[in-house]
Amino acid sequence: MAVAQNVDMSFKIRDVIFKNPVLTASGTFGYADEFDDFTDVSSLGAVVTKAISMEPRPGNDHQRIFETYGGMINSIGLENVGIKRFVEEKLPILREKHIDFVVNLAGKTLDEYVSLAKVCAEHNIKAVELNISCPNVKSGCLEFGTDEVVLGKLVESVRNVYRGCLIVKLTPNVTSIEKIAQASQQAGADAVSLINTVKALGVKLEFINGKFKKSTVQGGLSGRAIKPIALGAVSRVRQVVDIPIIGMGGIYSLIDIFEFFSVGADMIQIGTANFTHPDISGQLVDELKNFMTENGFSTLKELKDNLRGEY
Amino acid sequence: MIAQKTKKIQKGLVNELTRVSKSLYLIRFTPHTPVDIKPGQFVSVLCDNLTLRRPFSVMDYEDGVISILFKKKGAGTTYISNLKQGDEIDFVGPMGNGFNIERKKSLLISAGVGSAPVFYLHKKMEELGVENFFASGFVSKEEIPSNLEFDMVTTDDGSEGKKGSIVNYVEGLILSFNPEKIYCCGPEIVLKLIVQTAEKHSIKTEVAMEKVMACSIGVCKGCVIKIKKDGKIQNATVCHDGPVFDGGDVVWQ
Repeated sequence: MAVAQNVDMSFKIRDVIFKNPVLTASGTFGYADEFDDFTDVSSLGAVVTKAISMEPRPGNDHQRIFETYGGMINSIGLENVGIKRFVEEKLPILREKHIDFVVNLAGKTLDEYVSLAKVCAEHNIKAVELNISCPNVKSGCLEFGTDEVVLGKLVESVRNVYRGCLIVKLTPNVTSIEKIAQASQQAGADAVSLINTVKALGVKLEFINGKFKKSTVQGGLSGRAIKPIALGAVSRVRQVVDIPIIGMGGIYSLIDIFEFFSVGADMIQIGTANFTHPDISGQLVDELKNFMTENGFSTLKELKDNLRGEY
Repeated sequence: MIAQKTKKIQKGLVNELTRVSKSLYLIRFTPHTPVDIKPGQFVSVLCDNLTLRRPFSVMDYEDGVISILFKKKGAGTTYISNLKQGDEIDFVGPMGNGFNIERKKSLLISAGVGSAPVFYLHKKMEELGVENFFASGFVSKEEIPSNLEFDMVTTDDGSEGKKGSIVNYVEGLILSFNPEKIYCCGPEIVLKLIVQTAEKHSIKTEVAMEKVMACSIGVCKGCVIKIKKDGKIQNATVCHDGPVFDGGDVVWQ
């Protein structure tokens, strides 16, 4: 196959052109400046920020991390600096460093989501991702992600105040992710991203002096272990919506990315892999570009069509 | 073009791996690119295909060789304990803040594997001519790492040095050595008791904390502790804001 002279890896959602399809998942990349020591962050398609709420949140008190076979459970509880500090301190850094970003928003109520979206509109933030699927907070966002009527209302309300690129992040912890995806599309979402973490429980037993001692972490499972769940969800959602899908769940390699493309994802996010390999996202951008160049794919569409057997 | 910075992720080659006590191992490895490591800083080691890296305080860094002391406990440390000379080791670091060395008469206290970062601190202080006294506590004689030297040891069973927990000797050490500052590393309960004793004597402390970590770089917020700062109780990450904290700032659990 011919070598491609110019490779265009870009993908457009609404008015936003992402320069390549490799994004970093919310909560795994901080506010991006932390990764300067490891990779050229500005080369990424976009960084999705840690979830941001109106007020700062302290997160959960108990043990937050539990490693599992092929993955990890986290129970952070949306610890974040709040939108005010984000806008004052983090936003200027992202802009100064020419980092493309998506702001992940987490509200407790419909009004809070609307207020957050308004702040984003005021500050000319080009893309937001609604976190309606965090399994680790007692009240709030997950409820929006599990009921298609409630979700539809939420997305519509945000849509009314925010004209930028609106992405809705879906939870796999539902009976029908298809219904939630359809409701998002109908209510005016520009794209859906999936999957968020899978609700799980980690149990650690220790046998000390004849007695079992149990400690647990209830939270969201991520990492390699959830890739088949994520691929299944993307594949099913692809059957029922026309808007772009951003796939994620256990992506560690170029082959993983191709698997997601092959079942219908348009872009992808790297999550847990960033913890173990802080340089992986930038590396995958390079690997994708090299693969496309060497194998004569000049656009992302050509590559995806080939992967989906549509050439 | 942004100036090229040292990437904090790289590989090195294992020089040697030795067992230095009943449950403690010493691994020495040479990073391909030399680094600059302060006592109290740590490196996070990739363990085969386990999801998370394992963080270890640096026990020594000399002539381009990093030494880590570790306890064989689970899958990660078992993997590391099976590495051989010449094997590749993938690590992130040095991470974290490290101890602040001041020109003050210093009491250094550690317990168990916590003696690793304190040993490195002790060594640096000796080089800098900072007067210090290094005491460490262990469960028993067979748990004392054979590669380290202390000014004083305690063992819970009295099989070596003074008998009983190291915390029982803190007050006495303060009175006899009269330190201006105390540095410590060990289990949280030990640190808490040392800090409380030090506070009675109005002595400043620096404590090196430990927590299960996911990212090692401050983004995942998995390893937070509570500290008092600006008159408020707030979160601090052990990996990025620490692992060394002012003992007076830590809100003990």
